[in-house]
Amino acid sequence: MSEHEQLNERDRAQVEERHEHGAEHYRKVYLTLLVLLVLSVAGPFLGIVWVTLITAFGIALVKANLVIQNFMHLRWEKRLVKWVLISSLVLMALFVAGVAPDVMRHEGQNWVNVAAADAVDRGIEDEHAEEEEHAEEGTAVTVADPDVFDAVGQFNLICATCHGSAGDGNGAAGAVLDPRPANFTDPAFWETRDDERIKTAIRDGGAAVGGSPLMAPWGVLFDDAQLDALVEYLKAFRPAGQ
Amino acid sequence: MSAKPIATTRSATGIPTGRLAVWWLLASEVVIFGGLLGSYIMHRVGHPEWAEAAAHTQVWFGAFNTLVLLTSSFTAVLAHQAAESGQGKKAAKFLVMTMGGALTFLLVKSIEWTIEISHGYTITTNTFWSFYYTAAGLHGLHVIAGAIIMGFIAVDAWRGRELQRVELIGIYWHFVDLVWIFLFPLLYIAK
Repeated sequence: MSEHEQLNERDRAQVEERHEHGAEHYRKVYLTLLVLLVLSVAGPFLGIVWVTLITAFGIALVKANLVIQNFMHLRWEKRLVKWVLISSLVLMALFVAGVAPDVMRHEGQNWVNVAAADAVDRGIEDEHAEEEEHAEEGTAVTVADPDVFDAVGQFNLICATCHGSAGDGNGAAGAVLDPRPANFTDPAFWETRDDERIKTAIRDGGAAVGGSPLMAPWGVLFDDAQLDALVEYLKAFRPAGQ
Repeated sequence: MSAKPIATTRSATGIPTGRLAVWWLLASEVVIFGGLLGSYIMHRVGHPEWAEAAAHTQVWFGAFNTLVLLTSSFTAVLAHQAAESGQGKKAAKFLVMTMGGALTFLLVKSIEWTIEISHGYTITTNTFWSFYYTAAGLHGLHVIAGAIIMGFIAVDAWRGRELQRVELIGIYWHFVDLVWIFLFPLLYIAK
């Protein structure tokens, strides 16, 4: 049997296997993809960050896998093809891993990307200007209703990443920061702070009050009343007698 | 049939040479789109202010186009199935439906871009919009290229010739669909 005939033999077996499933199988995959699409559009309407991330990117991965395995027939394909594609993905991952530290952060131990940091500042200023414009036109865009603002929830969602949910500066992401995130349970912290300074630090970032530049500005997320609510919550960590 | 190029039948790997070539092409596409989307994700993480720009993209246009591409992938795989069982005319019909999907996609895209450009969001507005038009534009070029090649293959398939090519354009088309599956959440949903 020649090489070519062997190939045909194998191909025929493959084709027969696929035809057992047939159009019905493809229709099932297609309908599953549509259901996943609806979920990925509906997810963000709940307004919960982690739900949005899972429905957007988790579902994209599931959809991609369905298409690759069933429509592109990778599950029936020879191993060589899988290795070729995996090599490409590895090269891509190497590229991303190589440049990520420089692109995702705007400052490191001995360097600062002034242009990128400025771009962030400018962008956020523009946004404030735009919001004010909207407010003047009478079509106010408010980030959230201050009546239902959950300072504790927001603290645990955003601030606690570095400052820790106990406010002691021991959040998971805070471990690698230098200088360390502020410890709100430390009496020394409260000696040098007043409400206005804390509020400015949350809104404009640590650098705005001469503190750590690693404290990011969060003014985009919170309006004035919400910032006040956060400052009030921080005071809950203040040691008694201070 | 005697003048067929040897690559059509020869295979050292056990994979028909044409199909192996398409996979190699897609391997290079993975790096092209992967590099572009990877760069976008990294910049997005470093630039919280992009959320404001991203809020101006139209979710419903993106969602509708996802539906269009998923459907066209479905007709592409049905074309492949018809070709495998030797039904050239049926395969050609499904390929034409797939091309219809490509045209619908491009039409929706052009309406969407017209609205955005007329609102002042162009490729030079800021880095977010540069990425938006570059990524969606490069993907759009792939849609156009795929639709044109599909036209040639549909004509051949209608005449019962070169039916193995229906699978090859199908694999490419599913990849185009795949890229959009990632572009959709990246550009439209993550706000």
